[in-house]
Amino acid sequence: MSDIPANTAPAAAAISAPGFSVAPELLAIEGDMEYGEYLASECTACHQASGANNGIPAIIGWEPDDFVIAMHAYKQKHRDNPVMQMVTGRLANDEIAALAAYFNSLEP
Amino acid sequence: MKLNRRTFLGTTAAASAALAAPMVMAQGRPRVVVVGGGAGGATAARYIAKDSKGEVDVTLIEPTRTYYTCFFSNLYLGGFKEIDDIGHTYGGLAANGVNVVHDWATGVDRDAKTVALAGGGSVAYDKLILSPGIDFVDGAVEGWDMSAQNAMPHAYKAGSQSELLRAQLQAMPQGGTFAMVAPPNPYRCPPGPYERVSMVAHWMKLNNPTAKILVADPKPKFSKMALFEEGWNNHYAGMIDWVGEDFGGGVVSVDPAAMTVTIDGEVTNVDVCNVIPAMKAGRIADLAGVTDGKWAPVNAADMSSKADADIYVLGDASQQGDMPKSGFSANSQAKVCANAVRGALTGSKVFPAKYSNTCWSLIEANDGVKVGATYEATEEKIAKVDGFISQTGETSAVRKATYEESEGWYTGITSDMFG
Repeated sequence: MSDIPANTAPAAAAISAPGFSVAPELLAIEGDMEYGEYLASECTACHQASGANNGIPAIIGWEPDDFVIAMHAYKQKHRDNPVMQMVTGRLANDEIAALAAYFNSLEP
Repeated sequence: MKLNRRTFLGTTAAASAALAAPMVMAQGRPRVVVVGGGAGGATAARYIAKDSKGEVDVTLIEPTRTYYTCFFSNLYLGGFKEIDDIGHTYGGLAANGVNVVHDWATGVDRDAKTVALAGGGSVAYDKLILSPGIDFVDGAVEGWDMSAQNAMPHAYKAGSQSELLRAQLQAMPQGGTFAMVAPPNPYRCPPGPYERVSMVAHWMKLNNPTAKILVADPKPKFSKMALFEEGWNNHYAGMIDWVGEDFGGGVVSVDPAAMTVTIDGEVTNVDVCNVIPAMKAGRIADLAGVTDGKWAPVNAADMSSKADADIYVLGDASQQGDMPKSGFSANSQAKVCANAVRGALTGSKVFPAKYSNTCWSLIEANDGVKVGATYEATEEKIAKVDGFISQTGETSAVRKATYEESEGWYTGITSDMFG
């Protein structure tokens, strides 16, 4: 399991990770864009809002389902970066959905 | 008289009087003044300007035209960075609608709600955000004061002091001694002094391998101690002598003229001496009357001062609870504050406070470690929720990934601060 996820097709890795899946109802939550923008300010301390990356992956423009799956993979400690496990550990399901909606709306 | 930036920039007495007049204020956009353009202030100014989309007039008062980040200044000392790598200008903030004023704030009139400027005049606020960082406590280290900062640099506000300390390190005679007087808690960047020791050792190992490092520390233990001690043993065996509280590390005096350090009565001749004195909130917090002792107490929900509901204090200067005094913390606090201030002035939605911090430290090339935590606002303080720390004995691959992550973070947070 990689500590630092790849920059390209990042969520595909999460989706295909053996033994990990996300319940359909989590994917069905509609994210609140305004709340997502506020919550995203925690992410942009490290992940650049422009989509540039060096050492920390780009997270803008992802498909919301991919984003939600990746976040839950960290939250459930299926992925092993301790910063991401900590950050996602306190995100509620609706907050993950909000972030997914907001970051999806940003274009590189 | 119409309120605009030109009247402010022309800091005549007439313009100042107009700016201070409540009637003019009532007709203009709500005004936020931010004092201090570091991790807290720059972030707050940028977020309020960006998210209010012109509804709020944001003025940032910052004396320096180029801001050198304290974070990564140790990597500059170790030769991993050049000074320009850690320097940032304010053009991005200006382009994003922040009125950037390069001046010193010299006082706050809380009744008139104005901030006085060293260059003359004053600027009015509806909400004032103070993010002045740290100043040093007078007399904290016997024999040292600001007049000695060239002989014995603190290098704990980055820039010329960092350049001076690096020049002194590089000019040390072979086999010489580099001394550090470490600060008592609480202080800016808890792992900072020990990352600095690591970076000095890294440089010496390559260029002056018989040189020694002597650390006088008033504390019995320090941030990431097991990780640093492991790294020092692995990479720099025999080079570093850390004298903690138990061995008199807190009973220290210096003589900048003689270049000596006296620890618990034992005098040592040194070639370089990095004195990091005890710290307190930057002076403007004191002048504004929002400090209680050395720091400015704030409410955990929004970083507002406990002394004045229209003043907010961010970052190192604040006394908020469990968060360490770090650039990451200040950046995190700034976003909570920006959301609350914008909500108060424009009626935008205010979301609950969420705080977080991560501090990366470099011990040796590609040997990075980190510590982090999340925090929540309680009635009493900002309280820790959860956290992690790198483990001793991690593989070199993990340590390298941690270092690379820190490089990414640096780019990310400086983009987040300065746009």
